[in-house]
Amino acid sequence: MNGIVFDIRRFSIHDGDGIRSSVYLKGCPLRCQWCQNPEGQDGRPTLWHFPSKCIECGDCVAACPRGALSSRDKAAAPKGPKPDAGGFIRIDRARCDECGACVEACPTASLGFVGRPMSVEEVLDEVLADAVFYDVSGGGLTLSGGDPVAQPDFSLALLRAAKAKGLTTAIESCLYLSTAKLLEFLPVTDLFLADLKAVDPVLHNKGTGFDNALILRNLWELADAGARMKVRLPLIPGHTATRENVEAVAAFVRSLRGDIELELLNFNPLARDKYRIAGLTYALDGVSTRFSEEEMRRFRSWAGLS
Amino acid sequence: MFETSSGGLLGLRTELDGIPMSGRIASLKAHTIVDERWLSLEQALIITESYKEADRLRPDEAKVLRRARALDASLRKIGIDIAQGELIVGNRTKGVRDGVVFPEAGNEWLFREIDSLATRPQDPFSVRPEDKTRFLEEVYPYWKGKTLEDYIQVNVGALNKEIGKVAKINQTDHAQGHIMPDVKSWLDKGPAGLRAAALARLEGEGDPTKRDFLVAVALSLEGASAFILRYAELAEAILGGEAAESGTPAPGGATGLERRRGELCEIARICRALAVRPPETFHEALQSAWFLFVILQMESNASSFSPGRMDQYLFPYFEADLAAKRLTLASALELLECLYLSFNKIVYMRNSEGAKYFAGFPIGFNVTIGGSDAAGRDMSNGLTYLFLKAQEHLLLPQPNLTARLHRASPEDFVDGCARVIGLGSGMPQVVNDESIVPALQRVGVSHEDASNYGLVGCVELSTQGNNLGWSDAAMFNLSKALELALNGGLCLLSGKKMGLDLGNLGTYASYEELHAAYRAEVRSFVDRMIEACDFVDRAHAVMLPSPFLSSVIRDCVGKGIDVTAGGAVYNLSGIQAIQVANIADSLAALKLLVYDTKRVPAARLLEALRTDWEGEEKLRQIFIHHAPKYGNDIAWVDAIGSAEASYFASLLEGRVNARGGPYHMGLYTVSAHVPMGKNVGAGPDGRKAGSPLADGGVSPMYGRDQKGPTAVLKSVSALDFSKASNGTLLNMKFVPSFFTVDEDRRKFNLLLRGFVRSGIHHAQFNVVNREDLLDAQEHPERHRNLTIRVAGYTAYFTELAADLQDEIIERTAHGLS
Repeated sequence: MNGIVFDIRRFSIHDGDGIRSSVYLKGCPLRCQWCQNPEGQDGRPTLWHFPSKCIECGDCVAACPRGALSSRDKAAAPKGPKPDAGGFIRIDRARCDECGACVEACPTASLGFVGRPMSVEEVLDEVLADAVFYDVSGGGLTLSGGDPVAQPDFSLALLRAAKAKGLTTAIESCLYLSTAKLLEFLPVTDLFLADLKAVDPVLHNKGTGFDNALILRNLWELADAGARMKVRLPLIPGHTATRENVEAVAAFVRSLRGDIELELLNFNPLARDKYRIAGLTYALDGVSTRFSEEEMRRFRSWAGLS
Repeated sequence: MFETSSGGLLGLRTELDGIPMSGRIASLKAHTIVDERWLSLEQALIITESYKEADRLRPDEAKVLRRARALDASLRKIGIDIAQGELIVGNRTKGVRDGVVFPEAGNEWLFREIDSLATRPQDPFSVRPEDKTRFLEEVYPYWKGKTLEDYIQVNVGALNKEIGKVAKINQTDHAQGHIMPDVKSWLDKGPAGLRAAALARLEGEGDPTKRDFLVAVALSLEGASAFILRYAELAEAILGGEAAESGTPAPGGATGLERRRGELCEIARICRALAVRPPETFHEALQSAWFLFVILQMESNASSFSPGRMDQYLFPYFEADLAAKRLTLASALELLECLYLSFNKIVYMRNSEGAKYFAGFPIGFNVTIGGSDAAGRDMSNGLTYLFLKAQEHLLLPQPNLTARLHRASPEDFVDGCARVIGLGSGMPQVVNDESIVPALQRVGVSHEDASNYGLVGCVELSTQGNNLGWSDAAMFNLSKALELALNGGLCLLSGKKMGLDLGNLGTYASYEELHAAYRAEVRSFVDRMIEACDFVDRAHAVMLPSPFLSSVIRDCVGKGIDVTAGGAVYNLSGIQAIQVANIADSLAALKLLVYDTKRVPAARLLEALRTDWEGEEKLRQIFIHHAPKYGNDIAWVDAIGSAEASYFASLLEGRVNARGGPYHMGLYTVSAHVPMGKNVGAGPDGRKAGSPLADGGVSPMYGRDQKGPTAVLKSVSALDFSKASNGTLLNMKFVPSFFTVDEDRRKFNLLLRGFVRSGIHHAQFNVVNREDLLDAQEHPERHRNLTIRVAGYTAYFTELAADLQDEIIERTAHGLS
């Protein structure tokens, strides 16, 4: 079985026990305005431009058979390797058929595909490269994305294969999928890292484009089934980072089961770059700083965390 | 509290955590590091005088006796000093961090460079006008034609020059260092006891060469006792008002003065005792060990005499003093920190070229802590943690602190190392018992001795107290050999003929043909290099026999043979193969792009290399980005690096050096990747002519490893470390949060466990700092591997927008990122 994978990141150390490898799967059921991996939302492979590697030679423009690439006027903007608004190359996605001619032509690999089809065996082979580190640390495989539930059958097959190799398994997910399908994950997933943005459905809908009833029910189901889980709340200025929401999420998590940890994730402004590169608008473009330690302490106290 | 049971250690660690750096140490540290460095001619004049006297009175006397007399005279005459607040005394010059002129080894470089010494960019030393005059008028003329350097130059100078761009022969104008003396037997017997042993050995010895040697040993040890006694006399003279201490007195008024008088009485008592008997307390043992290293430096002015496993051989003194309540933990730490400061009082003055290769005049007092014994049991103890604490307090260049790890290393020790590493001094570096012990056994070392290994110099492996490892015999530039093979034996930089002409990139029909030519080039240089190394090795025995050193290297006195002539139990010679990453990357790119896919015509690449990629920047980028690189856990590329390193090692196997021991391979350059890169033209790995090679030894080319630290360790572990028994060097960099955030540091500790399991000898960890990030903004191509994590998300630093980079730079300056 093949899935669309857009990154395999080794030495992933914040997404579960020990030293892990995170496999990023394409596609996500939600459309959060603050998404940190916008390149992962779309389920298909996407052509991507990395301006920091670009030497502005223009070979890609010449190589494209469909005229989908154009270069910015060099005189109009300062030259140099630092990425700024969109970089040197513009991709006309309506014309691009992702044939890869530009990727091959680019001397510096500043054009590449985000996402490629891989089989379960191929992914597992790469993940098992770090077997010795999983062995010493109790680590293993974490599925991330996008969201692994966007490719549920591939995810299940990967988790099953990893378990068979003795790895510990974890998924990072918003849990937006049918409860019946979610329950299939139970026997092959050692840790659920569940994102919960808001308890209030209006707030949730505003930020993510979708209702949260299914997500809340799935959290209940997982808790009842005894799954090992941790809930993460991303603190987004103007969206989820309000006292009301933090208190509501904390209360909800406490009501699930006594032993479920809530983690507050500080806002991360770094994603802004990806939107620039992709030529997408970023709803939080004006917000460039993280919460201070003091503000984080206040959020934690609202959440009843020490 | 001092027992090795975990409960006792826990108490000790807790108590240690609360001990701040004392005022004494703070003020001594300032005194040690701010002084201007001066050239010191004093010992050169004493040695010259001693030789002139020997010319008159004993013209036929053996060299070993001349050397012993010159050392004895130095020990009795050299100016000595005690500084305010010092508890451990002793230095080889009166000034702190003086650059000692050592005439027996070689004076040509100083003759050439004496005028620029004070103004050279790397490691300058000020020169007093009268010293310059006396050097030019008294020292240099007397020694002209009589030094080690002259002897080597006359005999193999031409050969060394001929092969020098590929095989750089070391120790041609200075004494051989990188030696770990038998400190334990020095502590057990003291100079008087060792002298008695040498004299006992002399009884009934009929061989005149051996008799000369043994008499020289005894003579040098008499000098040692006299030197130690002089410090007692100086302390007494200060107490009696006939002499004064250097430095500014500590505050404290009359009470402070009274306390200092007590300390001087103790210094006098200890030095009087150590002149005639072995040490009995922790303070005495530290003082005794320090005298040993000062005297070794005075005999040979060599880079690196290393103390080795100090937490092992000093532990009995520490334990007994604590048990008898003669010592508190705070006072033990302060004494140890005094020793740390002493390690920084001696620097090694190199010529301008050497200063480039080994910037910062490292003297290589390498201290090894932790590790296992021959049965695999962990040997860390309470004293081990004092060494870490002293490093945490001082963060000075010396000692070069090394932590031995193994499968059963306690978590406390691993975490203690990680915390100190996180402070950014790059220390302790970590080494791996699991791979090193078998590697040393493979080169003929017994399991017992291999298990007691320590490091010398920077990363070189040695057994303790019985080994002349000659670990820095030569550096072999594999990239230069490849260059010659690609270009018909002609240097790409100068056009000169240097190697074999077996064809060139344009004429080789296949990758296999090219590869065979490269190996033939390597083989031919190895043959000539060994010839030169053998001669240099013999030259040291002729010109620089070292009787004092021989007294603390096992079997020299027993055999009646000087350490330079093969008296040691182990007699190795180490050659460094440089550099795995560049060879793997270059051969992989040639194979893939020129031969397998034929994407680039061979003639076009050859022309690009000859012109240093002139007008071919895009082609250069293709060689960088469209061929896989070592350091990313790509099996076929790593296999190339591994095969070429192993091939090089195989060329050394079976060869016997001048002292009867084996040659073996090391994989490190320390900082020599920069000057060695200057010798190499453009390469198929995308390197530009003259730019640095990969750093360290087995590190990937900077910026080319992009899959994180585990992938780097996997690539490196593909090398056959059992064949790199002379030592290896891997540099890795982490952002500060890896060490400051408890959860992250635990993951770092797990990575260290993975390192041990991967069978890699050595790694050192630097902490990314503000300067690194500024450099990454300026030169993103060198820092493609730099990842930054901010709240649940990791990004490549070089792919961030400038304003976000700026924010991270600010955060890093505060230790947040």
